[in-house]
Amino acid sequence: MAAKVLITEDEPNIVESLTFILKRVGYEVTAVTDGEAALLSLRASQPDVMILDLMVPKLNGFEVLKRVKGDQALAGLPVLVLSAKGQAHDRRLVEEIGADAFVTKPFSNRDIVEQIDRLCGRLPGAAAQDRPAA
Amino acid sequence: MQQERSKAGGQRAAIGFKIRQQRHLAGLTQRALAERVGISPAYLNLIENNKRNIGGRLLRRIADELRSPIELFDDATGRRLVHDLIDVGSDALFEGLALTPEAAAGLAGQYPQWARAVVRLHRGYRDRNEAVTALSDRLSQDPFLGESIHGVLTHVAALRSASEILESIDELEAADRARFLGIVDAESARLAEISQALAGFFDRERTATRSITPADEVDDFLQEHDNYFPRLERAAAEIRGAAGFAAVPSASRLIRYLQDHHGVRVTLADALDEGAADPHARSFYDAPGRHMALVATAAPATRRFELGRLAARLACGEQIAAELAGSPLLRSPAAQRRAERALQAYVAGALLLPYEEFIAAARATRYDIDHLCLRFDASFEQVCHRLLTLKKPGDEGVRFGFMRSDPAGYVTKRFPLPYMPLPRYGNVCPLWAVYRAFQTPGVIVRELAEFPDRRRYFFIARAIGKPLPSYAAARQSVSLMLVCESLHADQLVYGDGLQLSTAAPAAAVGPTCRLCVRRDCASRQENPIIAA
Repeated sequence: MAAKVLITEDEPNIVESLTFILKRVGYEVTAVTDGEAALLSLRASQPDVMILDLMVPKLNGFEVLKRVKGDQALAGLPVLVLSAKGQAHDRRLVEEIGADAFVTKPFSNRDIVEQIDRLCGRLPGAAAQDRPAA
Repeated sequence: MQQERSKAGGQRAAIGFKIRQQRHLAGLTQRALAERVGISPAYLNLIENNKRNIGGRLLRRIADELRSPIELFDDATGRRLVHDLIDVGSDALFEGLALTPEAAAGLAGQYPQWARAVVRLHRGYRDRNEAVTALSDRLSQDPFLGESIHGVLTHVAALRSASEILESIDELEAADRARFLGIVDAESARLAEISQALAGFFDRERTATRSITPADEVDDFLQEHDNYFPRLERAAAEIRGAAGFAAVPSASRLIRYLQDHHGVRVTLADALDEGAADPHARSFYDAPGRHMALVATAAPATRRFELGRLAARLACGEQIAAELAGSPLLRSPAAQRRAERALQAYVAGALLLPYEEFIAAARATRYDIDHLCLRFDASFEQVCHRLLTLKKPGDEGVRFGFMRSDPAGYVTKRFPLPYMPLPRYGNVCPLWAVYRAFQTPGVIVRELAEFPDRRRYFFIARAIGKPLPSYAAARQSVSLMLVCESLHADQLVYGDGLQLSTAAPAAAVGPTCRLCVRRDCASRQENPIIAA
């Protein structure tokens, strides 16, 4: 079964590129454009990994991450944070909250795929043949 | 003690060096000059090395023997140059170099042009430092810049991601290729827009790189004239004569004068138009329309003053221009405009508080400012400013200095006394009454202060709140301080009940912490730049 990725990002052209690339390597992709929609989606159907932009509207990425990592049911969900603000203190903050990976914009598609592959490989019980090809 | 004497030597003008210079030009030996003026050569030597004060009759005798005008030896410009050099020497940049006030006096006395060059260079350095700091702050905190940078990174991310797909996947279907090419096109266009907006932002926000602020230039100009302009006093008297004003013209009389003599219509407005250049102004004059709008919520004394300022602008343009013409101290157009407004305010003060009546009332009340406010229907600050101008030869009042500070300690106006300079940069001594006044708003705070050079001054300060136009308006307050030499304190009503003799206790203050040599001051805020 294909691993599921939830993308929380409000820039449509970034969503389009990421969706294309991740689907191409075998992931099932869902995308939302704001923080509140992300939490709703997570509660409705938990993905295997989430890509989370920090600067999304309604509820920003910091807050979404805090609620995910503070929720017993969601705390184990690997989260890759995307940020245009690459400053050290933002990175430290998201790592303190519990982000599993941090990528700054502009990013390389290859880096995203490698990170997602790595994070999905960390899921307990995930067999090597279940991981999508890069 | 030695250091205090040195400080005093520095703060005195470099008179001794000038005397030596002129003596050499006159071809006289020390012995010859000393004999002619009736002092010993040893004493003259001390004077020429700035180790002794000189003034009054002895200085006049020396000036006469050297056939030089006395202003050559003891002029306000020279004193200011020494003070400015001492200010320069207090900069942390020169820490450890022991730039003493005596050396400043020597440089100013012997090489005044080089001294001016040093002062000018330092001002330029400070202005550039402030500009860089301001720019740095803007770069890190400006919301437009923050949003723009975020936008750039986001659009570049979309561009890069789409480009990578196009570049790395050979077997891309035509529809997908077209889609991602469209993304590249769209994101490139948005990136171009943001780039242009950023370029425009930096063009508009270019920081001034002048070496001296217009406010500094105007301060220097006013001090050069000792804040007394006889031509403008006469001009104000002419307006009074032409208008038939009684001693204290009312607002309605001023409005009638403007209507009858200048065809100006005056109306009250709740607020100035949104397009007004200065939203905090209390009036606006539409010259083509000959219409003046006065803000109705301004205090009555302020409205009268605005009317007086307009009268000055319309009736005394030529006289004001003549004062400004050719002044080497007003180098920038901004400084000239600022000086023009300052002189219009001067004429307004002379119009509303006429010299003879005002000085008579000041002497009669022993400079009771509250009484003068009621007598002339003027504000506290307007009376303070008029007190600074009582310099008419043969009819001078007590000589005052003045400063105005906001609660953060930022000095917004300054007019120093000849031997008690007000530092141009940074805060003044925290023990000055101007700051204590904020603790008791509305109450006059009196202080007999002694500086490290043993000079004593009398401070009179009051913190006042500006009238609020509405309940929701933010409260603003300033502290105003007049200062005079302690010798004159007994002429003031504020000296009553205080011990003013030279032996009386006085607050031990300094000019500013960086220049102050008092080691035991509990209020010290930073280390002195001058080593002990």
